[in-house]
Amino acid sequence: MVAAWLLLAPAAVMVAGVLAYPVAWEAWTSLTDLSPQRSGPARFVGLRNYVELATNPVYRFWPAAAATLAFVGLTGAVKLALGLGLALLLQRPFRGRALVLLAVFLPWVYPASVAVIGWYWTLNPPLVTSYSRLAADLKQAVDGAFGSGAWALASVGLFNVWRGAAFTGVFLLAGVQAVPADLFDYARLECPSPWRRFWFVTVPLLRPFLALAVFLSLTTGLADLANVWMLTGGRVVFPVLGTEAYWLGVQAGQLGPAAALSLTLVPPLALVLWALFRLVDPPEERPR
Amino acid sequence: MVIERRWKKWVFFYVPLTLFLVGMLFPFYWMLITAIRPDAELYRSWRNVHNTPFWTLHPTLDHVQDLLARTMFPRWLWNTFFIATVSTGISLFCGLLAGYALARLKFPMAGTLGTAIFVTYLVPPTLLFIPLANIIRNFQLGDTPWALILTYPTFLIPFCTWLLMGYFKTIPKELEECARVDGATRFGAMARIIFPIAVPGILSAGIFAFTLSWNEFIYALVFISSPERKTVPVGVVSELIRGDIYFWGQLMAGALLGSVPVALVYSFFVEYYVAGLTGSVKG
Amino acid sequence: MAQVVLKDLNKMYDDVHAVKDVNLNILDKEFVVLVGPSGCGKSTTLRMIAGLEEITSGEIQIGNRVVNDLPPKDRDIAMVFQNYALYPHMTVYDNMAFGLKMRKFPKAEIQKRVQDAAEILGIQELLKRKPRQLSGGQRQRVAVGRAIVRHPQVFLFDEPLSNLDAKLRVQMRVELKRLHNRLETTAIYVTHDQVEAMTLGDRVVVMKDGWIQQVGEPLEVYGRPRNRFVAGFIGSPAMNFIETTVADGAGALWVECAGLRLRVPAERSARLAGKRRQAVVLGIRPEDLHPATGADPVDLTCEAVVDVVEPLGSDILLDVKVGNCVIVVRVDPSVRLRQHDKIRLAFTPERIHFFDAKTEESLQ
Ligand SMILES: Nc1ncnc2c1ncn2[C@@H]1O[C@H](COP(=O)(O)OP(=O)(O)OP(=O)(O)O)[C@@H](O)[C@H]1O
Ligand SMILES: [Mg+2]
Repeated sequence: MVAAWLLLAPAAVMVAGVLAYPVAWEAWTSLTDLSPQRSGPARFVGLRNYVELATNPVYRFWPAAAATLAFVGLTGAVKLALGLGLALLLQRPFRGRALVLLAVFLPWVYPASVAVIGWYWTLNPPLVTSYSRLAADLKQAVDGAFGSGAWALASVGLFNVWRGAAFTGVFLLAGVQAVPADLFDYARLECPSPWRRFWFVTVPLLRPFLALAVFLSLTTGLADLANVWMLTGGRVVFPVLGTEAYWLGVQAGQLGPAAALSLTLVPPLALVLWALFRLVDPPEERPR
Repeated sequence: MVIERRWKKWVFFYVPLTLFLVGMLFPFYWMLITAIRPDAELYRSWRNVHNTPFWTLHPTLDHVQDLLARTMFPRWLWNTFFIATVSTGISLFCGLLAGYALARLKFPMAGTLGTAIFVTYLVPPTLLFIPLANIIRNFQLGDTPWALILTYPTFLIPFCTWLLMGYFKTIPKELEECARVDGATRFGAMARIIFPIAVPGILSAGIFAFTLSWNEFIYALVFISSPERKTVPVGVVSELIRGDIYFWGQLMAGALLGSVPVALVYSFFVEYYVAGLTGSVKG
Repeated sequence: MAQVVLKDLNKMYDDVHAVKDVNLNILDKEFVVLVGPSGCGKSTTLRMIAGLEEITSGEIQIGNRVVNDLPPKDRDIAMVFQNYALYPHMTVYDNMAFGLKMRKFPKAEIQKRVQDAAEILGIQELLKRKPRQLSGGQRQRVAVGRAIVRHPQVFLFDEPLSNLDAKLRVQMRVELKRLHNRLETTAIYVTHDQVEAMTLGDRVVVMKDGWIQQVGEPLEVYGRPRNRFVAGFIGSPAMNFIETTVADGAGALWVECAGLRLRVPAERSARLAGKRRQAVVLGIRPEDLHPATGADPVDLTCEAVVDVVEPLGSDILLDVKVGNCVIVVRVDPSVRLRQHDKIRLAFTPERIHFFDAKTEESLQ
């Protein structure tokens, strides 16, 4: 008992010690009208920030939420599909697999901030470079269809998929290798259709790994969005929850609504996490 | 029959694999080409007759030389390496102890705490840097590596703990019990039996933490201001994009060179990495 | 009709030659057991028959059809794995129904077959449980049930009993034999346990280092092993081996070593005649030695000193010293002996084996 707390202490001090104040600050701020542009102490305003967000179209909360959901959902699905495909391709040993594995993992190892710049500026060339005409045409087409900033968002999505699929692939490969090979062998004996084999055997067996991969890809997806806003100096103007919070907090100085906005992500994420945990460890399957 | 099978192998294995590899590696190729492309070619119009978008006829090392001479790139590399190593060390130490406690010691709330560790990931990091900056200022750590060494563990420790907790759970209890019957204390058994067995898990967590801190951007951007104290990601981005002036080739050269150390570290431990991930989720 | 024919079968894993020139004709309805020490290529052979491993060279026929290039699912075989390979996310019923569902059998048919199989194996009450709620023996039954619902042409078993405790293993062994008598399906069974091999197999295939050493009915392999390896591998406790030299004397051939001098039975002399003054290995099973009585010819006996006494109940095992070597003798439980007692042992002449010291081939 004492031993347990002793062992937990360093981690607790490092994490809670450093994070307790910032998290509390954010929660408290979301209930006040704190702003660097206003002198005097911040006033407690209760849930007004949240109500404002939901009702006042100035904050663009609902379009941002929808765009976030679409972004995270789309990139998540693509990452999972590509990652799973990669894991299944690499499942059986072949000559040079270690090299392929290394190559596949490079995008994740690569510094995200620099890669994002590479991607973003490659797809949105700021200068007259050798292919800027092509990029500009594409941008115009996409922005025309979905609204200004959509192409920039799409390029972030592409980057996120590139980086995330690599990680998901290696992660799921670890999963595939953790499943006893007999189980796949038996399926090969019994099941004529690779497609059904995939749905009836591979997916259920990989469930815990799939669940975690989904969760990690969700959080990195959101983080990438935030990073890009910073990296591009706010050029990604298409409203998404993370970037709106930045814009509100850092640019417009409305820290209260900004904090409220970024906290609105917590309940849905918690819900997803809970659902995923249940998938990983369904209660009725615990050993007797 | 045999011919048909070879055909199948091509369609279902080689072709998709090649597509994947091209997709994964093309951006690197693009950066490489940009890094060694002379400026004259880089800023030429799309419709130019001699345009060669996918290769260059006059490769040059100018950008790399520029990067090394004009910026403090080597210095950034060293800063990043130092910060990543120290914060990884701290996180691994805390994560080992906490992971062991959560996996092995029976105490009320062990499960809850395990979940709580995961929940730290839920708070969006979006605005956390504002209050964190207050803390850094109060401790007068602003613009020193310690600002980052202190803050990085906040997101590294949860991951290390969680990864190692899973890994410890896959190690049979009997191993440890045997050592304790033979006269080791609980801590002795932990340090001499369990930790050595968990080496793949520890390495895996270590690589993960190292990569995350090597790549971190926001905190490094906010807490460090002097050019000679910057890390590679921030240095490359902030010193090579000034307003609307881009040192396009140097940027790409920096991007390529900056990731070499991590790629090297990773390439030595690929197998361990996969093994470590496996253990941590199964448990 | 499903005989299985293996022709010049070879398997190479990058640089390991795991199966070498295996030739085997397995008859319809036969129960054939592949047995051998760990790593001898039994599983690899079985997995090639199943289609889970590619064949490096050679040919496999199942029921007169060459199946080399047929995917496993079309070979009409069912396999039971060592660790059972039950799907943790499915109930026992779903596990058993899996192969049929995948082949799109009508629901009623599936239900009937699963019920029948469950009845045969006595697992009707377990159908709703998940594998992890079962004991080892129950899982084993489910794995077998999963194979029999398929009504395949050939059953393949890869060490299905090795995860069970000794008592359960004996019980399941009997059940498997009964099941085979009832279903009359060709079966190929892999094990490293020679008792299992002897009791279950219509024929036994002994393997070592990828080579087949001997194929035969259990008693044939036991009684007339082709070489020293088979002789030592089959039978428990193992056959005793004594290094001897062939010598001439008194109108007969003798084999001798320190503390032992035996007259070679007349009918065996022919093969040993060419081996004068050369080394041969004498093999004798513990049960083919007995305390000498007046009826035993003196030149087929030797002096021994008891070293260890192991009473098994049904009989007693004695570790005795003859000259420099230690051999094991199985004697009647009525024999009263203690450590250091002297005893005269008689060899049963027609059960003595001789092996070439170099090639280890039997000199029958
Ligand atoms: N995938 C593989 N790659 C390389 N070598 C292999 C592979 N599978 C088996 N081998 C080698 O082939 C040989 C035969 O293996 P096999 O699995 O058939 O042995 P076995 O007789 O079933 O042994 P056991 O009783 O231990 O199961 C062994 O030397 C083994 O190391
Ligand atoms: Mg085997």
